[in-house]
This record gives sequence, structure tokens and C-alpha cells, in this order.
Amino acid sequence: MSNLLDIRDLKLAFKGLSGLSEVLHGIDLSIAAGERVALVGESGSGKSVTARIILGLLQETPNARVSGEVEFDGRDITAMRPRDRARLRGTEMSMIFQDPTSSLNPTFTIACQFAEVMRRRDPRMKQAECDARATEMLTEVSIPDPERVLNAYPFQLSGGMNQRVMIAMALVNNPKLLLADEPGTALDVSVQAQTLRLMHDLVEMHHTAVLFISHNLGVVREFADRVYVIYRGRIVEEGPTDAIFHAPGHAYTRALMDAVPRITGAGLPEVPEVSDDFLAPMVRHDGGAA
Amino acid sequence: MIRALRIISSNPLSLTGLVLVLLILAAALFAPLIAPFPTHNGSVVDFAFANRPPSTRNWMGTDLVGRDIFSRILYAYRISLGLGVVVLIIAAPVGTVVGLMAGYLGGWIEAVLMRLVDVFLSIPPLVLAIAVLGVLEPTLANAMIAVTVMWWPWYARLVYSIARSEREEGYVLAAEVIGASTAHITIREILPNCLPAIITKMTLDMGFVIIIASSLSFLGLGVQPPTPDLGSMVAEGARYLPDSWWMTVFPGLAILLAVFGFNLFGDGLREILGVDE
Amino acid sequence: MTLLSVSDLSKTFQTASGPVHAVRDVSFAVDRGECLAVVGESGSGKTTLANMILGILRPSAGTIAFDGAALPARRGPIQRRAIQFVQQNPLSSLNPKRSIGASIRLGLDTYGIGARAARWARVEDTLEEVGLPREMRRRSPAALSGGQRQRVGIARALACEPELVVLDEPTSALDVLVQARVLRLLNDLRARKNLTYVFITHDLAVVRNVADRVAVFRSGELVEIGDTPKIFSAPEHPYTRSLIGAVPVVDDAELQLRNRLAEGT
Repeated sequence: MSNLLDIRDLKLAFKGLSGLSEVLHGIDLSIAAGERVALVGESGSGKSVTARIILGLLQETPNARVSGEVEFDGRDITAMRPRDRARLRGTEMSMIFQDPTSSLNPTFTIACQFAEVMRRRDPRMKQAECDARATEMLTEVSIPDPERVLNAYPFQLSGGMNQRVMIAMALVNNPKLLLADEPGTALDVSVQAQTLRLMHDLVEMHHTAVLFISHNLGVVREFADRVYVIYRGRIVEEGPTDAIFHAPGHAYTRALMDAVPRITGAGLPEVPEVSDDFLAPMVRHDGGAA
Repeated sequence: MIRALRIISSNPLSLTGLVLVLLILAAALFAPLIAPFPTHNGSVVDFAFANRPPSTRNWMGTDLVGRDIFSRILYAYRISLGLGVVVLIIAAPVGTVVGLMAGYLGGWIEAVLMRLVDVFLSIPPLVLAIAVLGVLEPTLANAMIAVTVMWWPWYARLVYSIARSEREEGYVLAAEVIGASTAHITIREILPNCLPAIITKMTLDMGFVIIIASSLSFLGLGVQPPTPDLGSMVAEGARYLPDSWWMTVFPGLAILLAVFGFNLFGDGLREILGVDE
Repeated sequence: MTLLSVSDLSKTFQTASGPVHAVRDVSFAVDRGECLAVVGESGSGKTTLANMILGILRPSAGTIAFDGAALPARRGPIQRRAIQFVQQNPLSSLNPKRSIGASIRLGLDTYGIGARAARWARVEDTLEEVGLPREMRRRSPAALSGGQRQRVGIARALACEPELVVLDEPTSALDVLVQARVLRLLNDLRARKNLTYVFITHDLAVVRNVADRVAVFRSGELVEIGDTPKIFSAPEHPYTRSLIGAVPVVDDAELQLRNRLAEGT
């Protein structure tokens, strides 16, 4: 079976005033249809830019140099015309951001924003049809009174509610791939846990593949089937979630794992300084990428 | 500094602005050395050459009494730039102090100061300046006062908006918890964060002050003859249009170049200093 | 032994839609040398509480006593100096236009700590104490990483030689590896200087490993307070249990603990 997303030898450099600075040093990453994959790394590791490349956003930035292949559903995104790439966004692939409240437009009602998203796929959709479909989606994300929410503005809703609206909106066009960049990080832990469970169930139901970008190992463990660990623009470890968490093979993954404080109270770990081991070759676990 | 030059030189428009500004500054500074007829700066009469179109002797022609227009433009730049510098050097600090106090202290001080600023801003600038000059005698010094009176509120508003947002920053809170004085917080902590925007605005404003000052002297309310001034030169020449076009066109172009130069350079500066719109 | 004691503390904000009780009748005490974690979600009132302890906000009712004496509404320099704080956001907590050294020195100048001529040396000593090079005092915050900035924030508080430090989510903006190092530093400093911490956070896993006692807040009220091991092994309040139950965990032992607590409900 071929993958939904195949990234091969992806490199990214930014042209600055002091020459080129390389951000991604050749990344290989693949996601099968319906698979939940996490990309874990610290800030500046290159995880968010990877998402932006998949969405085709960085290719259009004048000082970004992208090379390598990004094949989505059999088509090479990097070779596409900007217009065709734009057409994929919001239809075939969609995105959920860190802070739900600021990624919704405060000047339009939720119904309006839903309609706009749906008309990206079918521009002739009537408002009534849009509203019906939106109501259906809001019910799916367990929003008790969808009519009230549809007529509300984002600032009238709580952060957790907006996050659910974002999830519903991201899934309304039945995308094949959902990119989730640190979803819920801006929310309270209990709300975050709820929305992640909800998202987990929904993507399973809709058979949507997810690329889950996060720095939070605990959240990743609960959400993903498979994990990529990224460090300074290189994938250092890849494998099924269980394997990564029970037998981390790379020095960097181990350091990352050790550094997370435990609720069982093992005390604060001795964290190794950045070492050359972190740049050791990639560790690949069996049962990983197809 | 090297970074600044790189940014400037990577943008042809900013570079043009920088070159224009430098040329105008040089023209004003070295007017007595460059001007072919340095004495034409005053009330000189040379009827033999009166009302001549541009020639190799008078590159931009001569005026009604035979003075070299090119020389007079160079001297007029001195007046315009000098006026701009004086106005901004007074208006910017006054506005900055008002804006800092209103933005940081808030409460009734903010209400009073900013309403005062609104009152000034609600009067069209030229009208305000004309009113001031209607009361005072139309001289260079009074023109400066008039323009300053209409200019400081813009700085107050600019600094106010920055100070208000900086007031919410963690470093201000840190200084408050330590118990630093209001003077320390406004001058040492907040002001440095306003400076890039102030400097950028001052550069952009040089062009506008030149326009306003020229408009005033065009109306006969600014610099009085025989001192050369771009605005009054345009006004004088306008009476002899279109036949003696050079009397109007060249001083007009001089104003245009100055405004254009300072604006382009100001935009470049904005980028270098990282000032948001 | 008690360094800070808070009794019947309340804070009510008047808003357009009526009064909001941000903190309601809260009482607790913190011993010298202790680390008390104040835990809660957004809207729990933990930040309002911190701001009252720091003297940024005035309580609507109740008292805050420090070292046996009630703190007045307007604190003098001696009282302010004794209670310092470290902020959450390392990006905004340092003035981008001032050097690291100038930011740290502010407290020394304000409280008149040390001879004027010796203050720069003191600033550099403090930088060393938080694990930063002495030369860093001349640098601008823009040249520093998030972890380094947070260390500078800690140095700024330390330079004032406080007795109590209010830590407002000091590591939640940091990456895990950096967070672990900063937490260790905070622990070491507390032991070395006999500091007392009020550690405000939403991260229970961090709390478990740094705090001696935990105070759990919900909607402005203190719902549970107790020794850390006890709170995590046998929480009494259902809200505490649900908070611990929502923590994303990485290893199996943690998962078991979480499941055991979930069954208890």
C-alpha cells in the first residue's frame, strides 16, 4: 500500500543577510492513510516548518529554499503550481493550531467561518446547507447546543469550545490529512485532555491521517500510533509509539524522556549537556514506516 | 551598522532616499561653497540678467531681479532644514514626555493629557499654524513656533500608544515589583523602546515639516523676503506662469525631492530599526 | 518557623457584569525554607494570589503577614526587597533595550545593596550563581536563549537577596531539557540560600518533584492543601484527583498511578 504522505530528503534553508542557514537537513517521513503520526521535538528543531512545507506555505516564501520531495496522495507538492497547492489547503488537508481563539476570525460568526471553509470545496453551497452540515459536525465534537455556537462569535466562547470548533472546522471537508501543530497547548490540562481524546476518536471515525506536532511527550504517547523524534532539523528516531516509549534507542530521545518530570516523583533528573551523541545516526524501530 | 547598510542597500528605494537626503544635507551645509552666486542669498539686484531661462550661466534661470535660482535654492534648503531640525528637536521631546506620562501613568493624567492632544489634533494643522501666525508676527522664528505647536501632539500620540503596550510587558512589572521610581521606569525602561519609532518618525517628518513651512511662506506667513525660501519662491514665480516657468518649477522640484528623499529614507530606517507600522 | 502567612485573603474585581471573586477567603502558611506549590487551572485565582503576595494588587479583605508582621498596603523597600519574583515569560520579562547586567542591577540600586563601586561585581557573581558566564552582563536579551533568559530572571530576583521568591510558572515556556535544568537550579539555590518558594504552576508533574507541599485552587478557593507525597498518592478532593488524572504521562508507573487514582473516584 502506498502512503498518503511521503517526504523524502526534505531540506530547507533560509536566505538571510548573513548567507544561507539550513533548518532541515534531509528529512524522511511518511504517513499511511488514517495513521496518527507524531513529530516530536523542541522549539527550533524544525517541526513547525515541516508542517508549513506540507501545507505548501513555505515554498512561496521568497527567502526559503526547499528541496526534496513531498508527495501527497500521489502528487508532488513541491512541483505544484502555487494555485493548485492553495486548492489543497482546507479541502484535502487541513490544520489545527496551538491557540484556537486567535486562529478564528473574531469579526465573523462561527456559521460564517464554517460556510467559508465548506465553500472552498464546493463554492455553490447554500448557507442553509452549510449550517446543517456545520451543526452535524459540532454535534460530533460533543458541543451540546450547536445552534447557539453557530451564531456566536469566537470571543464569546471559551478556549476549549473554540478548540472544538476548530477541530470540527478542520474535519468538515473530510480531509485526508490533518496537521495539528501543538493543539491545545494554550488550554488547561483537563480541557486539553478532553479535546485530544475527542480528536482521537473523530479522526479514527473519519479515517483521517494526522501529523501531530508537539513538544509534549505525554500528549504524544496518548495520541499517536507512530512517532518521529526530530532534533535540529534531523530525524533521530522513528518507530511505533510503544517501542519509542519503552525502549528509546537514541541518546537524544533518552535525554528527552528522562527530562520529563514524573507524577510518581522520581525527583529531578540529571540532564546531560548537549552532547555529540545527540547527533548520532537515526534509530529506526521495526514495525515502523510502511 | 554593517547590518544597517546591508538592509539599506538591498532596497533600491531606501538607497535612493539615503542618497537624496545626503545630497540635500550637503547642499545645505556647503551652500556658500557650491552656489555659483553666493551673494544672491540676499537683496541683490542684477537687472541685466533678470528673468532669464536656464542657461549655462544660471542652471535654473534667474528671478525677476536677476538672482540665480539655483544658488537661492541651495540657501533655501538651509532655511528649510534648519527649521525642520529646530521644530522636531522641540516637538519630539515635548510630545515624548507627554506621551510617556499619559501612557505609563494612566488614570486622570492620561485622560487630561490625551484629551489635550486630541484638541490639537482636531484642528487642521495649517489652520492652527495660520492662527498662531495671525497672532504673532510672520517671521522665521514665529513660523517655527507655529509649526512646533501643531507638531508635538503627533509625537505624544505615537509615544503614548507604544508606552501603553510596553506598560503591560513583564520587564515593567519586574521594575515595579522591585520598586523602581516612575522616572526610572519611564525614562530608562520604556523610553528606549520608543526611540526607534521616534527617530523614524522624525526622519519622515522632516519632509512634512518642509512642506508645511513652505506652505506657510507660500501664503506669506513664513520667512520674509529677501531671505530665500522654497515656498515663497514658488509663490513669487507662480505669478509669472507659464512664461517664466523656471521660477516655479525648480523650487517646486526642490521641495518634492526633499520630501521624497526623507520619506524613502524614513521607510528604510523603519525597517532597520524594526519599527512596526 | 512560619515565614509567610495568608489569612482570610479575598480579592474581588468589579467588572461590567458584576463583581468577580478572583480569590475567596484563602488562608495558608509557608514555612521558612519550604517550597509551596500553588496549583490551579486558568481562572483559579493563582496569579491574583501571587500578585497580592508581591504587593502588585491590594487585597479586598484579609491579611498577608511576613516574618510575623502584617504587610501594609504600601510596602517600604525593606519589605519589597524580601519578596521577589520570577515571571513566566522569558521573552517579555527582560527589557530588550537594556543589557542583562542593567536589568539585574536595578534591584541593587533601588535598595542600595552593596557599595556602588562593587555592584557590577555583585551582578557578575549572581550571574555565576545561576550558571551563566560573567561576561554575559554586557549582552542584550536578544542574544540569549529562552533558558538563559529565565536564568537571568532568576538572577535578577536573587540579586536582591530575598527571603521569599514567588515563581510564576517559571518553566512552562521552556523546552523539557531546559526546564529540567532550570528546575534543578531552582532547587539548588533554595537549599544553598535557605530560600522559601511559592511556586505557581499548572504542571502537576513539575510540582510532584519540586514542592514540599501543594495547595490546589479552583475558582478562587483553596480546595486542598497538604504534603506533596500525600496529595499525589491519596488526594482527598475530587478536583485534585481529576487534575492529576488529566496529566499526560510518559511511563508505565505513572500510568498505573493515574489509573489507581481514577478508580478511587
